[in-house]
Amino acid sequence: MAAGLMRLPVFRKQETVSESNEKHLVVPGDVITSDTGFMRGHGTYMDEEKLTASVAGEVERVNKLICVRPLKTRFYGEVGDVVVGRITEVQQKRWKVETNSRLDSVLLLSSVNLPGGELRRRCAEDELAMRDYLQEGDLINAEVQSVFSDGALSLHTRSLKYGKLGQGVLVQVSPSLVKRQKTHFHNLPCGASIILGNNGYIWLYPTPGQQDEEAGGFHTSMEPVSLPDREVISRLRNCILALATHKVMLYDTSVLYCYESSRPHEIKDLLKPEVMEEVVMITRQRLVEQAG
Amino acid sequence: MPVDTKRVRGPEESQSPLLFLPSIAKKSVAAERGRQDGRRRGQADVRPVFARCGLVSQAKGSAYIEAGNTKLICSVFGPREAERKDEAGASSGRLLCDLRFAPFSCPNRGAWIPSSEDKDTAQGLLEALRPGVRLHRYPRAQIEVNVLVLENDGSALAHAITCASMALADAGIEMYDVVLGCSLRLDGNSFLLDPTLQEETAGEPGAQGSVTVALLPSLNQVSGLQADGDMREDTLAEAVRACMEGCHKLYPVIQRALLRAVHKRASPSES
Amino acid sequence: MAAVQVCEAEKVYIMHGVRDDLRVDGRGCEDYRHMEIETDVVSNTDGSARVKLGYTDVLVGIKAEIGKPKPAAPDEGYLEFFVDCSANATPEFEGRGGEELGSELSCTLYKVFNNVNSLELRALCIAPREHCWVLYVDVLLLQCDGNLFDAISIAIKAALFNTRIPKVTITEGEEGGAELELSDDPYDCVRLNVENVPCIVTLCKIGHRHVVDATLQEKACSVAGLLVSVTHKGTITCVRKVGGGSLEPESIFEMTETGKRVGKALHAPLMKLLRDEEAQGKQRQKVGFLG
Repeated sequence: MAAGLMRLPVFRKQETVSESNEKHLVVPGDVITSDTGFMRGHGTYMDEEKLTASVAGEVERVNKLICVRPLKTRFYGEVGDVVVGRITEVQQKRWKVETNSRLDSVLLLSSVNLPGGELRRRCAEDELAMRDYLQEGDLINAEVQSVFSDGALSLHTRSLKYGKLGQGVLVQVSPSLVKRQKTHFHNLPCGASIILGNNGYIWLYPTPGQQDEEAGGFHTSMEPVSLPDREVISRLRNCILALATHKVMLYDTSVLYCYESSRPHEIKDLLKPEVMEEVVMITRQRLVEQAG
Repeated sequence: MPVDTKRVRGPEESQSPLLFLPSIAKKSVAAERGRQDGRRRGQADVRPVFARCGLVSQAKGSAYIEAGNTKLICSVFGPREAERKDEAGASSGRLLCDLRFAPFSCPNRGAWIPSSEDKDTAQGLLEALRPGVRLHRYPRAQIEVNVLVLENDGSALAHAITCASMALADAGIEMYDVVLGCSLRLDGNSFLLDPTLQEETAGEPGAQGSVTVALLPSLNQVSGLQADGDMREDTLAEAVRACMEGCHKLYPVIQRALLRAVHKRASPSES
Repeated sequence: MAAVQVCEAEKVYIMHGVRDDLRVDGRGCEDYRHMEIETDVVSNTDGSARVKLGYTDVLVGIKAEIGKPKPAAPDEGYLEFFVDCSANATPEFEGRGGEELGSELSCTLYKVFNNVNSLELRALCIAPREHCWVLYVDVLLLQCDGNLFDAISIAIKAALFNTRIPKVTITEGEEGGAELELSDDPYDCVRLNVENVPCIVTLCKIGHRHVVDATLQEKACSVAGLLVSVTHKGTITCVRKVGGGSLEPESIFEMTETGKRVGKALHAPLMKLLRDEEAQGKQRQKVGFLG
């Protein structure tokens, strides 16, 4: 039970960035270039004709534009991103959603599908009943519709794949670890589904049976999830955390490989650092093999 | 209570003369088979309780309780608009508890400023009362419970719980059930239910412990539990059962006192 | 405590998981998270320890000072507890935000140690009625991820094990009064017997079962819990109900039973680990805050 759980801390070797890596890394105050021919992008400022970094990160150059992309950051949303978020406030005609970005995002009442089909008209009653659809603390998945000038995001759920989330587990990782892909919804062959939010919020849930179209995504089943499904979800959760601790990009293949290489271990053993390390190493190897 | 900081309050450090008394009293309790006030050990033998509601006319509800020489008064104010608004307060009300010992309530003089131990007792009171009060019926409001111990002759927290729940009921606050408190002193192998102050402090070191239980009697739910001292797990279970029995003994007395207060308030034309 | 929001469906998921003895992170109901313990981490203390339990991170420093015994116990030293909720842990502790939690934690610690068996207080006495050692136990919360009580109690036990109090001899002074003389040999010191120091086990009632070492999410699903402090012999030194709900008498008995069993099992591996660490002596590579 408790035996073997307590231990002394040990030095874990840091995964060092090899010096030969061609990535150009800077810290705030580093002069990137004194050539005036470049344009100033995000994460930089001009100091006496010299282009200087204002964040720690990697320098990116697109033609004449120089940006510094911070490696650890909150979520910078772009139109079309899939996000998972939590309702923090119900206001008139809109919900405030926490999405790991600098400001709370906004979900307008007019950008959700209400029960009764897409063509339903919104009326005053809907405004009063907003809390019945989504209340504080509820989780949703949505797509970024537009970005306001202050950086706040406007979301929409006008598709059947978006809406309120039911039973499942939320895992929070850094947004830069989620790989941008064609689709962020996956029904993994191991028996569970995953939504990889671009904002670093990852939702794991049991693969649903047939969808009830009439409910418009606001009905959540409170039926108990079966034990095998739970085991898969818990294992996936620990795998994702292991990958995130070792800074492996998250996408369906990496998650799946990690899941498969974790099979010899018990689920709760995956919380141990050395097991994490081993599993991630095997995953890395497999990913390299596949790529090569 | 305001504290006058300019007043000279005697020497910086002073001690009660009781400390210099040779400790005779300590042995006498342990030696006797029974207890000094004639109650029996190991039995659900609580002190007779006198309880009455509505003594403080300014308060929304109030209660006074007397068990042996332990005397407490409690007043309830509110519900009224909450002063501090936090997110948790939006959907349910806040219950605030304050418990003070009058400086002359114990053999040693106490200070008016509550010590951290007093604050902890107040926290225990709050945790015992909260499950009994239907706080979700009072969104954005706060209810204040103030208990003052006039004389402490043991089991102060237990009686404070009972007294406060009577005052809450007297104030017309919605509750699931009354909350009753009962304490117990473990002395060697036997129990002293509803101990006096002497019994609380006396006894051989190493074989003692004290248990306080708060009970919602008709729902049969334990709303508060505090136990200290070195004890075995089965002793603890037995002690909790004994306290619950003690609470049930109090129940009719408290019910009657509350009913009397209701009768008094009812318009005389009906009777 | 750091507020974590959990929606209804998530609560249902967690509750059913507890019913099936499979929690969200794959643990069973009576499993602790991964725990790392290191002692002697701060050089200016007489004893210190750091415990990491999941993402909960607690640092305990103990300083021994000479004071006057309390009049009620003239031949004993005493302990003082102080818990600081640093704003490093969560922004909610900023300013006075952590004060309430801090005083609740320290009051509970006083209660846990409020019996003659936990620690040999007589050993802390230098001269009855005149001088005694006062152990200031300062607890710093570096990160909060649930189950603070358990992590703190384990850290305190480890820090007390690590504590070395310099030897003091009383000599007759020139004017007849007693004089204290501190040994100047740093290895000439007194150790404390920590065998009987209890560990706290916090049990959270979720649905019809209870779990130990609850994460913040799990704690949000629980209305009431029980805190049990258990010694290595399995005796219970302190019990408190925590949280806003009430418990059935039967579940209280079940929970103390579990608490006793789990708590008792914590001591042996902890003591073994502390002894092993000490046996390694200077050869052990200190990790400190780099790990």
